[in-house]
Amino acid sequence: MKNLIQSEIKKIFFLKFSKNYLISMIAMGLALGIIFSLTTNVTQGKAITELSPMDIVSTNMLGVDLANVMLIIFTALSISKEFSTDAIYVSLVVTPNRKKFFASKMITYFLLSIVVSIVMVALTYLTSQLILSVHGMSRIAFQNANLRQFLLGVSVMPVFYCLLAVAATFIFESSGGSITFSLGIMAIPALIKMFSSTIQKLVMPILPQSAIHSLSGVAEQNSFESLGIFFSICILLAWIILVSLIAVVKFQKQDI
Amino acid sequence: MIKIKDLTKNFKDKVAVEGLSLNIRPGVVTGFLGPNGAGKSTTMKMILDLIKPTQGEVTIDGKYYKDLKNTTSKIGALIDGNAVNPNLTARQHLELIATAGGIAIEQVENMLYKTGLSKVKSNPIGEFSLGMRQRLGIAAALLGEPETVILDEPFNGLDVDGIHWLRQLAKDLARQGKAVLISSHLMSEVQAVAERIIVLAKGKLIADMTIEEMSKKSLSAYIKVKSENNELLSSLLKKKGAFIQNANDENLHIRKMTLKQIGIMAKESHIALFELKEMQPSLEELFVELTEGKVEYISTKDIRERKDGRK
Ligand SMILES: Nc1ncnc2c1ncn2[C@@H]1O[C@H](COP(=O)(O)OP(=O)(O)O)[C@@H](O)[C@H]1O
Ligand SMILES: [Mg+2]
Repeated sequence: MKNLIQSEIKKIFFLKFSKNYLISMIAMGLALGIIFSLTTNVTQGKAITELSPMDIVSTNMLGVDLANVMLIIFTALSISKEFSTDAIYVSLVVTPNRKKFFASKMITYFLLSIVVSIVMVALTYLTSQLILSVHGMSRIAFQNANLRQFLLGVSVMPVFYCLLAVAATFIFESSGGSITFSLGIMAIPALIKMFSSTIQKLVMPILPQSAIHSLSGVAEQNSFESLGIFFSICILLAWIILVSLIAVVKFQKQDI
Repeated sequence: MIKIKDLTKNFKDKVAVEGLSLNIRPGVVTGFLGPNGAGKSTTMKMILDLIKPTQGEVTIDGKYYKDLKNTTSKIGALIDGNAVNPNLTARQHLELIATAGGIAIEQVENMLYKTGLSKVKSNPIGEFSLGMRQRLGIAAALLGEPETVILDEPFNGLDVDGIHWLRQLAKDLARQGKAVLISSHLMSEVQAVAERIIVLAKGKLIADMTIEEMSKKSLSAYIKVKSENNELLSSLLKKKGAFIQNANDENLHIRKMTLKQIGIMAKESHIALFELKEMQPSLEELFVELTEGKVEYISTKDIRERKDGRK
């Protein structure tokens, strides 16, 4: 398994495209966060100095959302390429145990997304501090419990969606299908708001976004999104496990 | 040893492979022949568990491929030279396999050298010709020094040098005791190396024998006779049960008779013979005969006897 994961990591980083993409992704995420933070008078109708430090951090963290979407696309493109080029033949001749092959992909992208997530969130936090001090506002201490919960919750997001995208790519075997699925899951909460509150009440709590918002502490109390920490973690795990199960069952039975 | 038992694959309503049973023996190059669409690739992919059989099974030393430990030391395969990420370099492609298979990285350079790719190892595979990709695929197949080597249409795209090189390589591998299975749709490509020939047509096994055995059974084998009186000789031979075609006025093409029988018959009837010659079919002719189903080349009894005999 260790060999396999090493091979998968090389598979990613041997390609110039991957390195360029991942670096651009982080740069663009940071840039977007900064742009959003500095244009609050347009986007939120408030001057930056009118906002609380926490508001600025969370506005800046919108860059992580962009990085998240870009990481989904990267994951789907990278893995689907193995199917579309038939390079999967070579991989599976070496590793015919498909469960193991799938698991090694999941672990590899788990590690990748953790690194991306930590780097993104840490850099965004630092730029937030920078923005705060540039505007002569009081910086927000890392000891702040709300801040820590927020940062942790935001960090979970890219990891969760990246794993979802890995499994979805095995299901759809195409980048398009996988991206549509993963972004679709992200978009459901926005759509669900158009339905009656009975439906919202039923669906909202089981959506990953609710769990992520609850984990980061931005879910409004008593809203349909608001879940306990334990329940949130269970919901996220349930999504990953369910989609992975479908992927593995399909992948194990299929002709390559 | 690889054992294929009653292997069948249906794609929706299409039968790609039907009731295939055979063993692939070590120490021999086995040519796996059949026209395009015969089911060769499908069979090879079923051996490698890339395609799931509809019926039947393949075992390697008594185990399913997916349950093997150290697969790279058991089987190495070239399925399709183009099945690579074109953005990787040759070296990187092999390194990925070596890493995943727990193979020493030195083997990568080693195989690049053996397959003549050392000079282009740092070029992206996208720039490679089909011949170079085939060489890279062969390098990948041999990376783990496997006991069994499976090559699907490896001659495709190889130049004359490449073809000679691969034949020599296949022979060497067999001499080292490895089982070598090479598919081709052209008899001529494998005739020089394959000790044993397996022929598939429309998914069914239609021949499993040595090249010599096959030639003997062919309809294309005949005796060419030129004589003082073709007409007389031909009527005499027909009475003895010969099957004769007058290819032209000069020659008789005789089947179901031996050289000796014809010679003696001519002598007894005082007919001078100018030519008496056994004609062998070209292997391509044989192949066409086989795949068009003119001749039954396989009797199950025959094969079973041979298999038992070699065990
Ligand atoms: N994935 C597939 N789906 C449907 N039909 C297939 C598939 N793969 C192969 N076939 C069909 O099965 C038959 C055998 O194909 P193949 O094994 O590739 O033959 P060969 O390698 O001898 O040329 C062909 O008729 C081919 O069209
Ligand atoms: Mg083929």
